[in-house]
Amino acid sequence: MTNMSQTTTQRSTENPLKAITRFVGAENLSLVIALVLLVILIASQTPFFFVPRNLMNIGMNLAVVGLLGVGMTIVIVSGALDISVGSIAGVASVVSAIFVTYVGTVTGGVFMGVLAGALLGVVNAAIISYLRVNAVVATLATLSAYRGIAFLVAPEGRPIGVLDQSFAYIGSGRVLESGSFPGIPVALLLLVAVAVVAHFVMSSTVFGRAVYSMGGNPAAARLAGINLTRMKFYIFTISGALAGLAGVLVTARTSSGQPASGTQGLELEAITAVFLGGAILAGGKGTIVGTMLAVVLLATLSNGMNLLNIPTFYQLVAKGFLLIVAVAIGQWRMARAERAQARASLAG
Amino acid sequence: MAETPVVDIRRVGKAFPNVRALADLTFDVRRGEVVAFVGENGAGKSTLLKILSGDYQLDEGEVLLDGQEASHVSPREARQAGFRLVRQEPEIVPHISAAENIFVGELPQRHGVVDFARLRADAWALLEECGFDGLIDPAAMGDTLSPAQKHIVEIARALKPGVKVVAFDEPTSSLTSDETERLFTLIRKLRDRGLGVIYVTHRLHEVMEISDRIVILRDGRLVDVCETQSVTPDDVVRMMVGRDLSYGFARTETTRPEVVLEVSNLSSRYHENISFKIHAGEILGFAGLVGAGRTELAKVIFGDIHKRSGEVLVVGQRTRIRAPSDAIAASIGFAPEDRKGEGLILVRSVMENASMAVFSTLSRFGILRNRMMIDTVSPLIDSLEIKTPSLEQEVGKLSGGNQQKVVLARWLAAKPKVLILDEPTRAVDVGAKAEIYRLIDSLAKSGIAIMLISSEMPELLALADRIVVMHAGRLSDPIEKSEASEERILNAALGQQAA
Repeated sequence: MTNMSQTTTQRSTENPLKAITRFVGAENLSLVIALVLLVILIASQTPFFFVPRNLMNIGMNLAVVGLLGVGMTIVIVSGALDISVGSIAGVASVVSAIFVTYVGTVTGGVFMGVLAGALLGVVNAAIISYLRVNAVVATLATLSAYRGIAFLVAPEGRPIGVLDQSFAYIGSGRVLESGSFPGIPVALLLLVAVAVVAHFVMSSTVFGRAVYSMGGNPAAARLAGINLTRMKFYIFTISGALAGLAGVLVTARTSSGQPASGTQGLELEAITAVFLGGAILAGGKGTIVGTMLAVVLLATLSNGMNLLNIPTFYQLVAKGFLLIVAVAIGQWRMARAERAQARASLAG
Repeated sequence: MAETPVVDIRRVGKAFPNVRALADLTFDVRRGEVVAFVGENGAGKSTLLKILSGDYQLDEGEVLLDGQEASHVSPREARQAGFRLVRQEPEIVPHISAAENIFVGELPQRHGVVDFARLRADAWALLEECGFDGLIDPAAMGDTLSPAQKHIVEIARALKPGVKVVAFDEPTSSLTSDETERLFTLIRKLRDRGLGVIYVTHRLHEVMEISDRIVILRDGRLVDVCETQSVTPDDVVRMMVGRDLSYGFARTETTRPEVVLEVSNLSSRYHENISFKIHAGEILGFAGLVGAGRTELAKVIFGDIHKRSGEVLVVGQRTRIRAPSDAIAASIGFAPEDRKGEGLILVRSVMENASMAVFSTLSRFGILRNRMMIDTVSPLIDSLEIKTPSLEQEVGKLSGGNQQKVVLARWLAAKPKVLILDEPTRAVDVGAKAEIYRLIDSLAKSGIAIMLISSEMPELLALADRIVVMHAGRLSDPIEKSEASEERILNAALGQQAA
């Protein structure tokens, strides 16, 4: 990876295991271990887990949360939070359905869904930057407002059926399907493509490094010439556009534009994934790779709970619990690092 | 009264993982004397203070406070035993009054309700006793206090009844000369009252002025305890660093005729009609009291505070600076006073911190070129002698002097024509200070115009070619180096200007 070529150039002769560790990041190793343990646990309890079709389903299910997680990583690294992404996805779902069904354009449907999401992201950024409303409060407000807009945009507030097959392919299509191999979900490939681009942007571009800088210390970033207002517009627009794309996926997947169902509560899962992936609320830390690992972990857990017939109510409790665990782990890591730092500076 | 020392430190040692912080320290502090602790950063001064205050636990040896065993105490027990630490960066609760801040945790009560009348009276009495009356309004809210006033609150906290030893940790870093004088008066009063006073600072002239004995630490060990009268500052520095080092710094003037920075009739909400010029290779010193508006002036020039009127010209070109990015484009660099708050991103790497002002020049189509970043940063790390294990090291893990050099590296990477340095040696140890002085000197030699804001008079007198003094948002006429003296600058800073 480009951002790591600094260390790569110095140590080119090392075994592949180390190379993988470096790509994943040492701090994400615990996630990989947790995932492996979880898989072993679930597979030992039910024979239906390690079935190609089930694994394919996990891949298909995590695409929506994964897209939101990518956007949320950027937002959280910058030191903010975007709670409105689930509602944005709802608006985008309805908008894309309207274009596909009533206007008859698949490309237009995808494009307009993403555009709607981006515009709502711009509105978020404007509220945060110009009205100086704290990002959490601002997006909590738009969480409600955008959900309302989704119902208002849908004719009579009802879901819109989408019959176009080529559109449905985006949500539930598979490539390389043959015999017993169920194929790779198109939605998952879409997520992988977005995540790879986002990883590159965050690690190797001026924009990405500026996001880390402003999250780490906004005053220092400002005095180093970074325009914080402009950055917030970019960041929330990206988050909105990705939420829009997630909404389009929901429509394509369920063959209907849904104002609420399928997108409600997604913000919680995305935020959980980002924190579980190693980001901290204060900003300046977090990676796309970490978030993606956490998304896989969460999707596996959710799948496992379904296979083991754990009732939904318990699953809701588990989801809330996980968010707290994720943040608590982050706090514990911070405290440990601070202690180490204090020791170093005192002793040094 | 028996000759029991008020603080008795016997063979004290303390270790942290991988490091031995203190080893085999033995000395005492007697009643009615001022003992100064000196040593470079990392010499063990803070660790020792934190053991005495109960923040840390010692690993070897013992500590007696007024004859009582106090080796393993909690911060609360240390306070009750009479040891009071005046911290360098006091914790002030923003939305309660100064009086409440002083008595926080011990508010006077009546029928379970806070007795505000008595609180005010107690606060007044305490401040008056300290000689700080008139400098601070006990009713003022915590967040409206200046850094100096916050320090006064912290001192007042320490002097509440039951005090036997007061330790001051870098007390004058946010104080003006006048306030420092008052502090010294207070310290002498405390000494005469029979208290033990510990005074920790990097400022040797203060040590020479106020202390009776000097405890010199190096690498966690005791070098010597000497009578202040029997040593010279140069002796002390030699013992601190363990090598010969000229504390006085001789700068050769390198001013060239061309004007690089010209500020004319600049006004903002903090300033009126500020005009000055800095030539190529010149260091213009900015003296003044804390709160006179020097940092704000730097921020106005740098585009971080809105300017109402006036012009900023760089090499004769008029600039339109509305944000820091415009200032950077106009070849101005700014190393702020508050290194951790505004200068560095502590959780990110040395490389990122050093290159962040020039990200755009180190990239193509918005993509950062790693090779170019390394090629830019590596030579700076070498030439500034920044001690870091790698470019990937988190800046927060470096020492204060090295952190300051990373800030300098950031601006050197931007190849500025004008460099604004706001308190460049704040909380930097003596050895690193001399290095930073040499560095500033060599930057000036290379033709950069340097605006040096400093509250340390010896620093200004050593480095600056001319000195201007700011008082209440206005600027004095420049004083030539040959005519500058501490008295003259101080008078101007206090607004008692004759010349």
